[in-house]
Amino acid sequence: MWSLFDVYYQPLKNKFKNKFMKKYSLLILVLLVINSVFGQVYFTKSGKIDFDATSSSSPDRIEGRNRTAVCVLDTKTGSLQFSVLMKGFEFEKALMQEHFNENYVESSKFNKSEFKGSVADNDKIDYTKEGKYKVTVKGMLTIHGETKEVKTEGEMKVKDGKIKLEADFRVELADYKISIPGLVADKINKTARIEVDCSLELFKN
Amino acid sequence: MKSRTKKILLYSTAVVLLLLAGGGYYISKEFNRRNKDTSLIKADYTLASSVLVSEFERNDSLASVKYMDKVIDVNGSVKEIARDEKGYITIVLGDSVQRSSVRCSLDSNHHSEANLVRQGGAVRIKGICSGFNKEELLGSDVVLVRCVLSTPKK
Repeated sequence: MWSLFDVYYQPLKNKFKNKFMKKYSLLILVLLVINSVFGQVYFTKSGKIDFDATSSSSPDRIEGRNRTAVCVLDTKTGSLQFSVLMKGFEFEKALMQEHFNENYVESSKFNKSEFKGSVADNDKIDYTKEGKYKVTVKGMLTIHGETKEVKTEGEMKVKDGKIKLEADFRVELADYKISIPGLVADKINKTARIEVDCSLELFKN
Repeated sequence: MKSRTKKILLYSTAVVLLLLAGGGYYISKEFNRRNKDTSLIKADYTLASSVLVSEFERNDSLASVKYMDKVIDVNGSVKEIARDEKGYITIVLGDSVQRSSVRCSLDSNHHSEANLVRQGGAVRIKGICSGFNKEELLGSDVVLVRCVLSTPKK
C-alpha cells in the first residue's frame, strides 16, 4: 500500500527534464501525495478485534480480545488493511491465553495476522455525508502463516468526521492450519467468530 | 483380614485420596488461573520510551527476542490519551514530533489511573510487550498490554 512513493515519484522525476524541476520534483510529489492520498486515508491504531471459539460443550467462554489492531482505509480506492499482533489478545483465563499463543496460533512464530482487501461497494459510500452504509468487504486474510480469501458483510458509519467500521464473520480454524488436540476437540469450536470494531480518524500529515 | 493388612489398605486409600484431592485442586487452580496483575510483577526492563522504540526500529527481530512477553517499565512523555466509546484507554508515549511511539493499552482494572495522567506530562508505565507494528507512513509503535501506572506523576 505504501509503495505509492515509487509509483508517483519515478515517473514524475523522469518527466521533468530541467534542473529546476528535477530539484523540486520531490516537493511537488509530496504536495501531490498530500493532496491526492493523505486527504482520504483514515486509520486507527486502537482497533478492537474479538475472537470467540466457544462451543456448546465448552465449560467456559473461549474468547480473546485485542484492543491494539491497526486499520487503514483509503476512502478514494476502498483499499482496507488490518494488522493485529497475536500476543495482544487477552483472555479471561491465563491458561487459555497460554494455549492460544503456544499451541494454536503459535504467536512467537506467526506474530501478526493481516487482512488486505477492499470495500467492494466503495463507490456507493459518500464519505463526506454522515450516514450508515451496509458494505461488503473482501480480501485476503492471513492467520498462522496461512492466507485465505474472505468475504463478509459489515456496517460503516460516517459521523463527526470519523468512520466506524463493524464486521462479524467466521473462519474455519482448519483453513488456517490451526489444529485442536483430540482431548479438547469438543470443547473448542472449529469455527471461530471474529468481531471487528474500529473507529477510524482522518490521517493528518 | 489381619490388622496389619487393614492398616496398609487404610493408609494406601488415604494416600490415593489425598493425591486425587491434591491433583484436583491443582487442576482446578491452574484452569481458573487469571493473568497476574502487572502492578504485582517485577519489571524485566526499565527504560525510556524513545530507547525502546529505537531498538525496535533498528532491528525488530533482535528487539522482539529481547522484549517480547517481558514486563517493561517504560518512562516518557504522554503524547496522547485515547479513550474509546467502550471505555478502553490507550496511553501513547513518545516525542510529539516523531510518529513512532509506545502504545500502552491500560488494564481495565486500572482505568482510573488514567485520571492521574495529562497530555505532555511525564509518566512511568509498566506493561507486557506484545510486539511491534512497523508502519512507515503512520509511524511504528511498540505495543504494551495489561498496562498499569508505575509511579503516577502529574
